[in-house]
Amino acid sequence: MKNWGLLTAPLGLVICGLSVLYLKMNPGGSKLTTDVLQGPLAYIPWLAGVIVLALFIQAVIIRRHEDTFLFPIVMMLASVGIVEIARLKPSLLVRQLQWLCVAMLVMLLVLRFWSRIRRMLSYPYLLGIVCVFLLGLPLLFGTEIGGSKNWLVLGPVSVQPSEFGKILLVFFLASYLSDHRRVLTLPSRRILFLRLPPIRFIAPLICIWGMAVLMFVVEKDLGSALLFFGMAVLMTYMATGSKSYAFLAMAFIGVAAAASYAAFGHVRVRFDIWLDPWQDPNGMAYQIVQSLFAFGTGGIWGTGFGYGHPGFIPEVHTDFIFAAIAEEMGLIATMMLIACYVLFFWRGIKASLGCQKEKEALLAAGCSSLLLLQAFIIIAGVTKFLPLTGITLPFISYGGSSLVSSFILLGLLVSLSKEQEHG
Amino acid sequence: MADWKIKRQILQAASILLVLTGLLTAYIVYLSTWAADGLASNSLNMRRAAARADIWRGSILDAQGRVLAQNRPDGSRSYPMGAAMAAVTGYNGENIGSAGVEGHANRELLGLSDDLSHMGAVSQLFQSERGNDVKLTIEADAQQAAYDGLDGRKGAVVVLDADTGAILAMVSAPSYDPNNIEANWKELSQQADGALLNRAVQGMYPPGSTIKPMIADAALTEGITDEKEIFACNGVLDVGGGHSIRESHGEVHGKVDLRKALTESCNVTFGTLGMRLGDDKLKKSFERFGFDRGLGGEILMAKPHLPDFGKLGSGDQAQTAIGQSTLLVTPMHMALLAAAYANGGEMMKPYLVQQVITPGGMVIADTRPEKWLSVTTPSMAAKIDSYMEDVVTKGTGRAAQVSGVRVTGKTGTAENAAGEDHAWFIGSAELRNRRIAFAILVENGGGGGTQAAPIARKVILSLQN
Repeated sequence: MKNWGLLTAPLGLVICGLSVLYLKMNPGGSKLTTDVLQGPLAYIPWLAGVIVLALFIQAVIIRRHEDTFLFPIVMMLASVGIVEIARLKPSLLVRQLQWLCVAMLVMLLVLRFWSRIRRMLSYPYLLGIVCVFLLGLPLLFGTEIGGSKNWLVLGPVSVQPSEFGKILLVFFLASYLSDHRRVLTLPSRRILFLRLPPIRFIAPLICIWGMAVLMFVVEKDLGSALLFFGMAVLMTYMATGSKSYAFLAMAFIGVAAAASYAAFGHVRVRFDIWLDPWQDPNGMAYQIVQSLFAFGTGGIWGTGFGYGHPGFIPEVHTDFIFAAIAEEMGLIATMMLIACYVLFFWRGIKASLGCQKEKEALLAAGCSSLLLLQAFIIIAGVTKFLPLTGITLPFISYGGSSLVSSFILLGLLVSLSKEQEHG
Repeated sequence: MADWKIKRQILQAASILLVLTGLLTAYIVYLSTWAADGLASNSLNMRRAAARADIWRGSILDAQGRVLAQNRPDGSRSYPMGAAMAAVTGYNGENIGSAGVEGHANRELLGLSDDLSHMGAVSQLFQSERGNDVKLTIEADAQQAAYDGLDGRKGAVVVLDADTGAILAMVSAPSYDPNNIEANWKELSQQADGALLNRAVQGMYPPGSTIKPMIADAALTEGITDEKEIFACNGVLDVGGGHSIRESHGEVHGKVDLRKALTESCNVTFGTLGMRLGDDKLKKSFERFGFDRGLGGEILMAKPHLPDFGKLGSGDQAQTAIGQSTLLVTPMHMALLAAAYANGGEMMKPYLVQQVITPGGMVIADTRPEKWLSVTTPSMAAKIDSYMEDVVTKGTGRAAQVSGVRVTGKTGTAENAAGEDHAWFIGSAELRNRRIAFAILVENGGGGGTQAAPIARKVILSLQN
């Protein structure tokens, strides 16, 4: 199956979306202000670059007999992102297209050098140390942007190390867990009803949980903390099948949450807003309340693309892009996006089940879970399903680090899907 | 082979994640459907207001197409007639809400069709960026004449088309200038009986002698007197219990029939009729003329305050029949009473908006006159109408005479707790193409014949051409 046809959907979406915006924002070809979409000449070269790269990548994937569904699904999400950013922050459209090109080039590198990258799986402890180092960087040199101290400012670009740390985390977990799978499932000690192996085997896991909590408390980055923690729990279960770990993890996070609620003001504020945003709808809870209004105003069909007022939500082009989509395109669009993420996840899990090696199966399952879990956490955050968290919606939100790291994950999954053809 | 085990666990973990996603999806469906209306209409949600602010609000026009309210090029609202028209146009401000036509014709002015907000992009096909114009029944000249006639005094003027109920003028004074109301809002909103009260429809006043045409109607209809009976007026009526009713200025009318009694506004005669009618028949008559109810919708007319029928002594019955006691009515209701006698006993429902016109000039709504109540028979209406004609030709309302126009009327000078008497004049005039009815009230103005009737004359003159 070549699935070239699947790429026409995102292409059509981008062309329609941008044309609508162009016609709506420049009625009769009149004045151009900084607030509206720039002239097409500014972004069309980059758009063309993205299209050419997309065709090239799909061609590579077809030639290598890898999964041809994954990439078109992602391009669908990315095209929604492009159109929404053109709608919400026209001045950032060119930047987003540039980042998309970079991300796709990085993905090509991943595909090209896959045979070397996979060797990393043999060095679990090295991976772990680099991961901790990456995540620790912002603690030492971090800059606070948008309320979270998880940014590194390197000259003109700001990087979120946690975006790349999460990839290393998946590598580390896949490698470590499959190496120690047997030891970890060996019930050597019973505490109450829990079956636990010697402490030295679970120490690295506890280390990761602790790091997640640290990230939240010190860097105020609840989204990444939840993501890291969730990944650790999910992958541990995938490798060991032990419910004791899941229980231990829940207990750990419960205690940690209670402790940080008692000890830190900003944790308490976050939590109270979640419980009752209507106490302070114009102050601390402004963002989440506006986001809920966006969902309500959009209803089932939305107000129509370009006819809503998503600008009331601060940071609408990054963390809250899902609320903007809900307002203007309604429940229909939000359901379709969730369906895209689930489809992507399903193809990823399918690839994982086809893998020959345990480590790679775990890696594939981890990569697909990571993306779905990230989408889940931020969507749950903007709808008040969970306390508000500050992470990006993969492939859609504005942001270079997020795009590049998501495309790396895509590249890994596509590479891992190849094995299936042999099996 | 341990392989199948790890794959089973991967599937289990994947299922957990999918179940979580499913829960979230169900929650989003709930948010976008069941919870949507509540969130969309939440008072803190500025999105509806913002969507409306994007629409170019339509103009308000008078019956001749003269502009009463329109948008300036910068989107702010201008009211060319200012305070004189404020009781009609009302105001519209982002932070103060809206009133008057700006308030109740808001949807038309914004061109909002039926609620399409849940139809998504499709609804944009039906929503233009320009709202509709609203054409009123108001005659700007009559409105200005009435406002000038009050000349800074507190009061209200209502002028109706007697045949249709169309409101030709509605003035309330003191007034405010809707052009700069937001700047003065704090001061205005703190006055209890201030400029924001539309006295024409919300002000409650004792009607005084202007209620007498209705009492004459009641007395004849109930058969407690006839046109031939002669009443002897010696200036004082003993109502029992040591109380008495006197004529104003100590007048003595001598021997009068009902027609003469109304023309001279004889308190002794009408006090006598009130006592003869008694609680039940008084109550029945007031109800027949709609004094037991208010009006909703476009014209928010307050419900009159009636005396506590069933518990009245003869003194209160007599006082009620001359429009005193605890009887309180709105000027609009008195104008409707006058209109009923000019329109063969049919009371038409008052209305302000005649047409809604799209930016393209198409009329999408045209109000049809509607009957509110049948209050009396055509022959009785004609009889009372001719009595009221005498009031203007030879009675207390001579100041309302206009040469070449048949004018009817009834003056009123209502005693009240606030001080000087309220001056009233209600009536009708036959113009070339229509019959108008009016009610004029000057708060604490003094005598109705000298203070209120001249305003009626000015209004008639302004409408004559």
